[in-house]
Amino acid sequence: MTYEQMPEEWQEWINLTPMERFKQSEQIFANYLAIGGSLDPDPDPNSPFDIPEAWSPSLAHGRAGLRLLRRGAS
Amino acid sequence: MGGQACVFYGAAQVSKDIDFTIFAEEANFIRLHAALAELQAERIAIPPFDADALARGHAVHYRCQATGVEGMRVDVMARMRGVSDFATLWERRTTFGDDKGAEFNLLSIPDLVQAKKTQRSKDWPVIELLAAIHHRENAGDPRADWIEFWLREVRTPELLIDLTRTFAEEAQPLLEQRPLLALAIAGDMDALRLALDTERQAVQALDRAYWEPLRRELEEYRRAERLG
Repeated sequence: MTYEQMPEEWQEWINLTPMERFKQSEQIFANYLAIGGSLDPDPDPNSPFDIPEAWSPSLAHGRAGLRLLRRGAS
Repeated sequence: MGGQACVFYGAAQVSKDIDFTIFAEEANFIRLHAALAELQAERIAIPPFDADALARGHAVHYRCQATGVEGMRVDVMARMRGVSDFATLWERRTTFGDDKGAEFNLLSIPDLVQAKKTQRSKDWPVIELLAAIHHRENAGDPRADWIEFWLREVRTPELLIDLTRTFAEEAQPLLEQRPLLALAIAGDMDALRLALDTERQAVQALDRAYWEPLRRELEEYRRAERLG
């Protein structure tokens, strides 16, 4: 994808300096953790490092304290 | 090694684990184990932490338990497939600094691209972005090695066609190693897209072949673990 083909928000991201991107990424990650995001790696089925022994007992959508109340089509 | 470097370079890749490549030396093992102890990192059953296993290319996996990093995975390896040795990577590194004097040493974009050439589907859009970003940032003052890097690694058909027009002379000697450049030179967009897919699949197959014996070894470790 060329720069011109990118959505505007990607262009904005790329236009930041490397340090700005790093700081924003840290902020996003802090928010993710603040709302209960899990540090368990996401499934990566075609990675050689995706070994069953490393899987954690599943949390509802990766967030401690959440429990499933209703399951629709998902 | 890769995820945060991608953030710095603009090809963001969400990464919740940390990978370390270490020199497999006694002194490093001691330092590593001290750091892992601080993180209350528990080794995941297989493979064992073993210098021979690391030298063969295995990664040893840990899960941290310390407050603030609960569940975080740390992977340790001593060998990275498809990239130069550590001294060369270090020589070619990119360093960013912040206002407080902290320095961040990253794989250079060309080395990061090589490291990302794996069987994982999610690495390939990142490779495309990294090469496109490198071109965008350096097109104004291109060096010979950068031109070669773009012609070898760019995966965006439109950009590749443009590059083979701008650097027609430089593209010629690379035709044998990257035959799809001929399609870019001809401006055959549809065929070029297909050829890029085929090229990706071939590299993914190489990565799978590299890991296959290591996967078999993991099965052996698993069997031994079950038997106690």
